[in-house]
Amino acid sequence: MENLEALLHGFTIALSGNHIFLMLIGVLLGILVGVLPGLGAPNGVSLLLPLTFGMQPVSAIILLSSMYWGALFGGSVTSILFNIPGEPSSVATTFDGYPMARDGRPTTALATAFGSAAFGALAGVVLITLLASWVAQVALAFGPAEYFAVYFLAFASFIGMGGSPPVKTLVSLAIGFALAAVGIDTVSGSVRLTMGIDELVKGVSFVVAVMGLFGIGELLIAVEEEFAVKQISSKVEWREVFRTIAGLPRHGWVLLRSAVIGCWMGITPGGPTAASFMSYGIAKRLSARRAHFGHGEPEGIVAPEAADHAAGTSALLPMLSLGIPGSATAAVMMGGLMIWGLNPGPMLFVEQKDFVWGLIASMYLGNVVAVFLVLLTVPVFAALMRIPFLIIAPLIVVICTVGAYSVSNSYLDVLLMMGFGVLGYLFKKLHYPLAPLVLAMVIGDKAEDAFRQSMLMSKGSMAIFFSNKLVTILVLLGVALLVAPPLLQAIGKWRTRPASGD
Amino acid sequence: MISRRSLETGTALLTGAFGAAVLVSSLDNGIGWSSAGVDAGTFPFVIGAVILLGSVYNLARGWPGNDIAALSRHDLARLASLFVPAAIFVGLIPLTGFYVAATAYVFGAIAWHRQRTLVFAGFLALCTALALYLIFELTFQISLPRGLLGSALGF
Repeated sequence: MENLEALLHGFTIALSGNHIFLMLIGVLLGILVGVLPGLGAPNGVSLLLPLTFGMQPVSAIILLSSMYWGALFGGSVTSILFNIPGEPSSVATTFDGYPMARDGRPTTALATAFGSAAFGALAGVVLITLLASWVAQVALAFGPAEYFAVYFLAFASFIGMGGSPPVKTLVSLAIGFALAAVGIDTVSGSVRLTMGIDELVKGVSFVVAVMGLFGIGELLIAVEEEFAVKQISSKVEWREVFRTIAGLPRHGWVLLRSAVIGCWMGITPGGPTAASFMSYGIAKRLSARRAHFGHGEPEGIVAPEAADHAAGTSALLPMLSLGIPGSATAAVMMGGLMIWGLNPGPMLFVEQKDFVWGLIASMYLGNVVAVFLVLLTVPVFAALMRIPFLIIAPLIVVICTVGAYSVSNSYLDVLLMMGFGVLGYLFKKLHYPLAPLVLAMVIGDKAEDAFRQSMLMSKGSMAIFFSNKLVTILVLLGVALLVAPPLLQAIGKWRTRPASGD
Repeated sequence: MISRRSLETGTALLTGAFGAAVLVSSLDNGIGWSSAGVDAGTFPFVIGAVILLGSVYNLARGWPGNDIAALSRHDLARLASLFVPAAIFVGLIPLTGFYVAATAYVFGAIAWHRQRTLVFAGFLALCTALALYLIFELTFQISLPRGLLGSALGF
């Protein structure tokens, strides 16, 4: 009740003309950086930061967080239309979003994504509103062992479900881990796997790999298969947008489950990327339409999008209440907080009530504004799909190149990106799965660090993974996810055998 | 014409070489357990070994019964029509800089296929360069490379 009163007070702060204008600007800029690969929410927020120094802290955080929502929505657009994820967390959206758009239903795919994303984000904000003080304690209980258990859970829920040959999956996963290890090792500080190229000390960026593997690789596959863009009717399909949104409650169970996964991963903080992969993996496992996943199944879009946004939203909570940023963007925002003279941490909720509740209220409004604006742009983006392939292909190559370059102003990244393009083509052609590679690349080094830190704490004993209730449950859940599918299959076979013998 | 067997073999050799490089490179960081905990090279060493062994397995599995055509001459020509210009574009960047290379590439790629007029190709190419400048250079203050040509002209 106390929280609700505080929230109402927050709305009176957020609902001023000035703040709504800042939300509009923030969301529009966010959509722009989200759509452009290479530029992401962290870039956008960093560039806007200097502009906010003269503002009230509430206004400043509303502008920056709105930009973050816009970028989260914009990142899904390119994933769906061109198979180029704008952000790591929208990779899982490409698995079903892109096939659906390619089959001539880009409007449906985009509307499904935005609708589920909005649901996930709202679930995250509601959670923050209700549990603001309690949740902080959960996050405090997280040590290296718990972190490792969460990453293990993400891998376990995602691995072993595809139809690819197991050894090819293993090789793909291991390559991802190896690429994640390139550069400075955060535990020991030593330089690893640079193969004598000094520039590789900074590591291989995820964005560079993804733009090559998905962007260029997909172009090569498409041109070889004589890609013909299916003629999509040129009408603005507003009815389709509304019909899709109205049909979303049919996936109510998936939406709810994905939002719960997202909130959990956002708070703990496993992060939006792990959340979206995990949610997709679990949705595919539990769905009766499992065979349709990867070919434009709506639930394959609903699950990662809802989890991604739920995690993105709830990740702000540990940043505010503990001073632990859950993502790169949250880290930049936290820098801003300090510049504006605020101290993130438990005392923020006591000392700066206006700021905290103004921000939380603006999260409700900001997400509504973001959904509204991004839906308005659906016809524009859908129109992009009608441009002939021969014209769009060189433009995609240019966008990927400039995107790879802008990650760290490095020409080497552009060369790497082209190399990943060839690898992506070969892998796709020979049925090596790409998703495990990307997953390992994104959270592989974090998982390794957490494991080694736990080993340091326990002096090499694995018992640390069973040292308290929380970590034991997480580990057992992960093992269950790994073991259950083959076991269930075996039991299924064993059961049908006597029946068929009768 | 390229057979499925050659593609499988080539890819397995590629991943195998990468695995071997990771394996060898990880030895520099030390493997095993030391006073500082698990050594930095341990994890890459295991990963490198997994990649290498997996590639050997894929190599062996990819050989028998795969003597079927995977890519015809026609397919190869189409692949090259996309990849070769793109590779030339990337190769041009250090010489002419990003803007000139991108303009030439977009113009060349569209003009080559002769589905649109040269005027259209030129217009689109110039728009691309302008959009790149407005978004990256002006809005987000990311300076794209000017190349040798740029430094010769004094940009």
